[in-house]
Amino acid sequence: MVKKIEDLNYYELLEIDPRASTQEVYRAYDRIKKVYEPNSVALYSLFSPEETAILRQRIEEAYRTLINDPKRKEYDMVLRELRELPEPEPEAQRMPTYQPPPVQQRPVVVRKPAEREPFLGNETRPQPAPSAPPPQQAEVPVPEQPRPAPLTITEFTGTAIRAVRENAGLSIRDVAGITKISERYLGYIEKEEFKKLPARAYLKGFLPQYAKAIGLDPERMTGDYLRRYDAAMER
Amino acid sequence: MIELQDALRRKEIWAVGGGKGGIGKSLITGNIGISLARLKKKVLLVDADLGGANLHTTLGIGVPEMTLSDFLSRRVENIQDVIIQSEIKNLSLISGAQDFLDAANPNFSQKTRLLRHLETVDADYILLDLGAGTSYNILDFFLFSDQGILVVLPEPTAIENAYRFIKSAFYRRFKKVVTHQGIKDLIDAAMDQKNTMGIRTPYDLIERVKLMEREVGEILELEITKFRPKLIVNQVRTKGDIQIGFSIKSACNKYFGINLEYLGYVEYDDSVWQSIRSKRPLAVEYPYSRPARCIERIVHNLLRKEQLTLSTLY
Ligand SMILES: Nc1ncnc2c1ncn2[C@@H]1O[C@H](COP(=O)(O)OP(=O)(O)OP(=O)(O)O)[C@@H](O)[C@H]1O
Ligand SMILES: [Mg+2]
Repeated sequence: MVKKIEDLNYYELLEIDPRASTQEVYRAYDRIKKVYEPNSVALYSLFSPEETAILRQRIEEAYRTLINDPKRKEYDMVLRELRELPEPEPEAQRMPTYQPPPVQQRPVVVRKPAEREPFLGNETRPQPAPSAPPPQQAEVPVPEQPRPAPLTITEFTGTAIRAVRENAGLSIRDVAGITKISERYLGYIEKEEFKKLPARAYLKGFLPQYAKAIGLDPERMTGDYLRRYDAAMER
Repeated sequence: MIELQDALRRKEIWAVGGGKGGIGKSLITGNIGISLARLKKKVLLVDADLGGANLHTTLGIGVPEMTLSDFLSRRVENIQDVIIQSEIKNLSLISGAQDFLDAANPNFSQKTRLLRHLETVDADYILLDLGAGTSYNILDFFLFSDQGILVVLPEPTAIENAYRFIKSAFYRRFKKVVTHQGIKDLIDAAMDQKNTMGIRTPYDLIERVKLMEREVGEILELEITKFRPKLIVNQVRTKGDIQIGFSIKSACNKYFGINLEYLGYVEYDDSVWQSIRSKRPLAVEYPYSRPARCIERIVHNLLRKEQLTLSTLY
């Protein structure tokens, strides 16, 4: 009943129903993140800065797990073991062909650093070797560190954005689910196929959404990207 | 007899508190009362601010002849004798103690006598305007009522006081349900935020109580779920200020484990002091002002047992 903050499960942390859609997970995360900002006035005198920091970190973990389908399924299984979640019944009707969590998809992630490197090394200033450890291969839900934009990125090109997205364990489809931006446009953004993108005004609306979904600073990413867009379109 | 029981069951007592002074408790109590009266409910407002009564001012009533202190000190025997009809249909008032210093601290038998008499009053709603602070009297009225409403401003000091109020209120409630003296002492000690026993949150306290007597700990857990104070954010100027109510709700849920209901907010507006200056109630003088309409919305939420939803922000 009454729970220690450390014991709240991810759904309780984000204050959502265990059946919440990806979109709802994202909205809850976006809101809760603001509540537990370091200087949030609503926390005054209740939580110490250390407690707030721990809460924030757990909120990040919760988001990264629940936003990612295989990870979420795995987590739900753990919760069911702990009897914190009821067994799903109506699910069976909606998904007649039940399949175990697609653990096999993981190896795809492992290839990523190699793909990413040339682009990230492609910067004007000399960069230290990519310091981020290679993405975990294991199925164990290892909490990822709260992840500032990788240090090697100095400009948010389409490729850099894609790298950040993949690093967060999100597919284009996940992001489309969160932002309601179509997968096609998300793809064009990443590939910098500027001509195929809708008018600049729409793009300007899409970018901050996209940035937030993958945990980037919306203003910076939008600014960077539009600068490249404008330069290319002028030519 | 059956009729009388019906009448008793129907009556609801709402208390408005908040810990800090000058945050709009009286303004909100008075104007909630007017809104209810306009909905054809019989309303009795009670200025239970035994230190600095001023509810009559927000209603535009001058210093009354008969006040609560006359009743508490038994200068009059019947509660009817201190009830004043207001100019608004269906709305009456018991004005606060003005002169009677001891009234600021009525003893247990005075309080029960007051509550017993209030139960007999012919009204649909009795609204208590609690004073500032977290004295036992204020907490007791708050806990006794059917709906305990907290007023807060979107600023750190008021929020800090609201949290202290919540904590004091339910630790007092805890103390009322336990008989074990050792546990009572433990609760007292836990009230001190800097206690040396490592009890920071209600959760810590309950864990400790469970070690002493498991069942009592479980009873306290149940008490937490029953404690559902309501929240009003007053003097709201921005969307961010409205958001603070949701944030307080979240923080209360995570820290205290309680389900605070966010009833609504009242916008900051010059019409408030203009109405006070003209010695007329806000809802009468400026019925279409933004704060007056905010208070109406709060009344609707109270009556329908609803609360603010996040969609108001989008
Ligand atoms: N929404 C508002 N907009 C503008 N001014 C307001 C608002 N709410 C309150 N005030 C101002 O705050 C003053 C204090 O309000 P009020 O007397 O209702 O507070 P209170 O909490 O009852 O104070 P006390 O603790 O002294 O009883 C009012 O006189 C008014 O000028
Ligand atoms: Mg007052």
